[in-house]
Amino acid sequence: MISQFFVLSQRGDNIVFRDYRGEVQKGSTETFFRKVKFWKEDGQEEAQAPPVFNVDGVNYFHVKVAGLLFVATTRVNVSPSLVLELLQRIARVIKDYLGVLSEDSLRKNFVLVYELLDEVIDFGYVQTTSTEVLKSYIFNEPIAVDAARLPPLGPAAIFMQGSKRMPGTAVTKSVIANEPAGRKREEIFVDIIEKISVTFSSSGYILTSEIDGTIQMKSYLSGNPEIRVALNEELNIGRGGRSLYDYRSSAGSGAVVLDDCNFHESVRLDSFDMDRTLTLVPPDGEFPVMNYRMTQEFRPPFRVTALIEEAGNLKAEVIIKVRAEFSSSITANTIVVQMPLPKYTTRATFELEPGAVGQTADLREVSKKLEWSLKKIVGGSENTLRAKLSFSQESHGNITKESGPVSMTFTIPMYNASGLQVKYLQIAKKSSNYNPYRWVRYVTQANSYVARM
Amino acid sequence: MSGHDSKYFSTTKKGEIPELKEELNSQYKDKRKDAVKKVIAAMTVGKDVSSLFTDVVNCMQTENLELKKLVYLYLINYAKSQPDLAILAVNTFVKDSQDPNPLIRALAVRTMGCIRVDKITEYLCDPLQRCLKDDDPYVRKTAAICVAKLYDINAELVEDRGFLESLKDLISDNNPMVVANAVAALAEIQENSNRPVFEITSHTLSKLLTALNECTEWGQVFILDALSKYKAADAREAENIVERVTPRLQHANCAVVLSAVKMILQQMELITSTDVVRNLCKKMAPPLVTLLSAEPEIQYVALRNINLIVQRRPTILAHEIKVFFCKYNDPIYVKMEKLEIMIKLASDRNIDQVLLEFKEYATEVDVDFVRKAVRAIGRCAIKLERAAERCISVLLELIKIKVNYVVQEAIIVIKDIFRRYPNTYESIIATLCESLDTLDEPEAKASMIWIIGEYAERIDNADELLESFLESFPEEPSQVQLQLLTATVKLFLKKPTEGPQQMIQVVLNNATVETDNPDLRDRAYIYWRLLSTDPEAAKDVVLAEKPVITDDSNQLDPTLLDELLANIATLSSVYHKPPDTFVTRVKTTVQKTEDDDYPDGSESAESSAHVGDGITSPPASSSSVPAAARQADPAPAPAPVPDLLGDLIGLDNNAIVPVDQPSEPTGPPLPVLLPASTGQGLQISAQLIRRDGQIFYSLLLENNSPVALDGFMIQFNKNSFGLAAAGPLQVPQLQPGTSAGTLLPMVLFQNLSAGPPNSLLQVAVKNNQQPVWYFNDKISLLPFFTEDGKMERTSFLETWRSLPDSNEVSKDFPGAVVSNVETTLDRMAASNLFFIAKRKHANQDVFYFSAKIPRGVPFLIELTLVVGVPGVKCAIKTPGPEMAPVFFEALETILKS
Repeated sequence: MISQFFVLSQRGDNIVFRDYRGEVQKGSTETFFRKVKFWKEDGQEEAQAPPVFNVDGVNYFHVKVAGLLFVATTRVNVSPSLVLELLQRIARVIKDYLGVLSEDSLRKNFVLVYELLDEVIDFGYVQTTSTEVLKSYIFNEPIAVDAARLPPLGPAAIFMQGSKRMPGTAVTKSVIANEPAGRKREEIFVDIIEKISVTFSSSGYILTSEIDGTIQMKSYLSGNPEIRVALNEELNIGRGGRSLYDYRSSAGSGAVVLDDCNFHESVRLDSFDMDRTLTLVPPDGEFPVMNYRMTQEFRPPFRVTALIEEAGNLKAEVIIKVRAEFSSSITANTIVVQMPLPKYTTRATFELEPGAVGQTADLREVSKKLEWSLKKIVGGSENTLRAKLSFSQESHGNITKESGPVSMTFTIPMYNASGLQVKYLQIAKKSSNYNPYRWVRYVTQANSYVARM
Repeated sequence: MSGHDSKYFSTTKKGEIPELKEELNSQYKDKRKDAVKKVIAAMTVGKDVSSLFTDVVNCMQTENLELKKLVYLYLINYAKSQPDLAILAVNTFVKDSQDPNPLIRALAVRTMGCIRVDKITEYLCDPLQRCLKDDDPYVRKTAAICVAKLYDINAELVEDRGFLESLKDLISDNNPMVVANAVAALAEIQENSNRPVFEITSHTLSKLLTALNECTEWGQVFILDALSKYKAADAREAENIVERVTPRLQHANCAVVLSAVKMILQQMELITSTDVVRNLCKKMAPPLVTLLSAEPEIQYVALRNINLIVQRRPTILAHEIKVFFCKYNDPIYVKMEKLEIMIKLASDRNIDQVLLEFKEYATEVDVDFVRKAVRAIGRCAIKLERAAERCISVLLELIKIKVNYVVQEAIIVIKDIFRRYPNTYESIIATLCESLDTLDEPEAKASMIWIIGEYAERIDNADELLESFLESFPEEPSQVQLQLLTATVKLFLKKPTEGPQQMIQVVLNNATVETDNPDLRDRAYIYWRLLSTDPEAAKDVVLAEKPVITDDSNQLDPTLLDELLANIATLSSVYHKPPDTFVTRVKTTVQKTEDDDYPDGSESAESSAHVGDGITSPPASSSSVPAAARQADPAPAPAPVPDLLGDLIGLDNNAIVPVDQPSEPTGPPLPVLLPASTGQGLQISAQLIRRDGQIFYSLLLENNSPVALDGFMIQFNKNSFGLAAAGPLQVPQLQPGTSAGTLLPMVLFQNLSAGPPNSLLQVAVKNNQQPVWYFNDKISLLPFFTEDGKMERTSFLETWRSLPDSNEVSKDFPGAVVSNVETTLDRMAASNLFFIAKRKHANQDVFYFSAKIPRGVPFLIELTLVVGVPGVKCAIKTPGPEMAPVFFEALETILKS
């Protein structure tokens, strides 16, 4: 049960404020913002405020979404995961209704936002966060904001960046907005989004690898038809009690082995055990059909090797190699490779490969990080960066320990590392000429992709 | 609809309000709707648009739901400041609650419940009764929550009108949403009531478990949390419950998963079959790990909970240590928690992997994280004997990188490793000494000095090393000074040669004559005396064998752990503190009846009697201090505490106060009631304070006597307020030169004295070493003012009129001056004296306040003053005018502070 809900901008401006119980004093927004901005504890230097903390008997919860702070307060011993999850969901519901979540859209639609908040929470108790259910109680209409200039939100937003095949406006369309012609476009989006974490040891072995995946759905189909989603037939769930250390035995058989998975409440699993199909009537708005986690061995999309060597007095040389180990029909984009350098690095000169297009390399002065950005990497190719460093003091022969690890972020559309697939997407509707657009999209992103030195 | 809502924010020229007024009364619907939107916009940016109340309420009678909702939003905001006008809306509310459209019915009940005006509350009852039995589930679920709202405003009304029964009926409702809200409402009412309102029987249990399957995700959390209070009768029932709850572990909502985990953990305590328990642990592991794939905020909550769970059931995640390895992009608060759990899960089997990780973390950029990683290596060494050597070699590798803070942190943990494995790893001391001159942090310096002192006989140049530190002795922080003192004594005892002898003289001189720190001085005197009287005894004392330490940092006390485990999936499990230490919700409804005010009255009577029995010397009845105390001279005027000493004691001895004691209140020092000169070295400072709605006796005991004092007990004589201790005085043994602060919870009306009220409080404190000490305190009324003393303006007037003039007492405070009204009002409010209204009378300002003391005795206060001019006149009206003198004393302290 929460007392207040509010949304603050990054500067601490009050954008939305709703008090449900009148038991927390008015100044809570300022108290909160000051605390978060200047978080200090146990004599530590400036640290990041944890998502839950208590000031003068008031408990503050916050999450950051789209550059905004979503905050709730309470005085009682509530379930913190409930409140944090709720804050995320409120953000999602608002986004579903407004099309875009931003300071501008919130301000323009404040009446609609307050209407939503009154239906989502009553006296501090969550009533519903289902975009679908809420539709029957909401009467205000959204006012569109110019989506093109806004930073995108949510995992599906990555589809707006590179691939031109996707209708970019789809993800910024409000669930209750009418198309100009009064005709709704019949379409459904199914996105298989995987975030992969890999740690390579200094000798190139994989120390840990993990995939956090989600099948995200957003339906604009009229009449709420039933949908069947078929996954790989050879899909096993649970490692059968075996420990992490011997999962390799299952590799190579072609089967996808998930450690654990969970499903949206609208999903029926009647035939899941038999033929690995999910049946559901998708509610409105964006929602995760299924979340899954996998530690089964998989082929990492990139091999990264980095080397740093002393090259004379107060000088060193760095070589970073990135090899793309996926098919040449696939292209990764927005790749950034970072490597912390010794603190006493003063200058770096870079040498890109001849003919390298869309690449930049830079030394970040404050953080002493080398940053190498590549617009795209085609499957099967290898890219190399050489850098010459100058130091202001002598290293103690620990140059390797004082630099690294190399970390990498990237996005690979139409690629997924787990091998989980949507075999088909069936929409149950009788009419023969009914053929809505079906977008099944795959994307893989780096979560924590690290090579140690 | 046209244009942007944000246009409503655009500021118009002057005359905004009249303009809006005109628009609100427009004959066109759209214009009225736009106008209400503008009003709401003004309201949300904090402008006062309350003067438009009547005009806005006039728009309420409309079929347009969008407009109606806007008006309702406005009403909730302003009804409180305009109670009389809010009545105007009542008719429409009542009418709306019977509207054919269920949305309007629900909206009416929902909004009425949010308007906390007494007069409206009365009208709420009938519509609420109807809506609780409405055909439409949306109306019923709204009505269920409304009962909780009503209970918060007027608990008696809810009980009298039978709403609790209606609410209980809704548990059997066929709509799961209604069930969930009824459960939530009942759980809240139960929290705030002392009567059993909502007890879960095996019958309700099975109904709720069935509803669980059909509920929304949030409803599932409400139900699971309510059910977690259920105690199964036997192992079989527990197994049944667990079986019904286990499928919830597969839910996508983290809150559902954690609440299910809590429920299962609780029932597991009853399950005897080890197979079943092992199987459950196996089932819980993957969902717990999956929580770590959620957003970092959720991960943090999950990790704090997992930290508790693995302390009780380490096997659950024993094989999953890899998932707690830190990701490069984890926020720092997640990384810190992961480290903690890695240490807890580290075992002989996985220690190599874990050390490899820690070593990597120790070279990252974030300083705090690096330090914690280095400490983690040390803690693993202490925990796992077989891995200690590997841990030490990693630490030595890290020291060689020569990053200053890594070296210092490593030395701190190595000191602990030496304590844990004496005479095993001393060969590395030489390596440590190489870094000596880079140490600049007190804890690292102190640790290094400890090592030198402890192993003085093995370090050839120990005297030179210590001497280099001695040069800066006066400038060192006390932590380092204390270690230097002890290390020098050790050196001298081990190598009683000329060099050390000179050093010891320098140190002892520095530590006795040149310092203000009583800890240091006392320790130095003890060594001095020991060394001069019996050097052999000194050896026995100083070089005694030390007990071996274990890694108990961050291990919770078993009883606390039990309590926290019962609170898994609540804030308590995130803070790792029991709920009552941070839950401060003002329970306005509870204090309405007299009995409820002192829910634990009977218990405290027992415990205070127990304390009395403990005081052995005066054979008086357990609840009174002997007559001698009463006749005792009035306590000497509180001796002013020397600031310096007070500061030093306050700062330096924090470590001595046990961690589970409430922390010392920061604020003005407590008045000294028993000066050390009277108490044979024991000094007691104390004051009654109010915190979180409870009265405490805040005590600070300082032992300046040469002996350790223990077995402290306290006793209060009969007094006008019947103040007595609610529990035994919890003060640890006080070593000479140390102090301890404590908050003693107090109860009222336990041992009342006869006669007119006075402010005398006679206190007796005893310990095992000294005679009983008696001293007098003066009771201030300030801590008695309760949080629920605020009165509505109307009830204030009514009460004022209803009291006869004989109940009015007034007094002048010629010396008091109010220079800033705001700060005075704030100060009054902080003491629960609530501002009601203000009016001008000639050139004077007249302020009205209300306050209440326990047993519901209200004070109506009138202050007449001119801002900035000395002289305040105060008149009070109260059913208990005999309290007036005590009240005025309290008021004076506020006015003059």
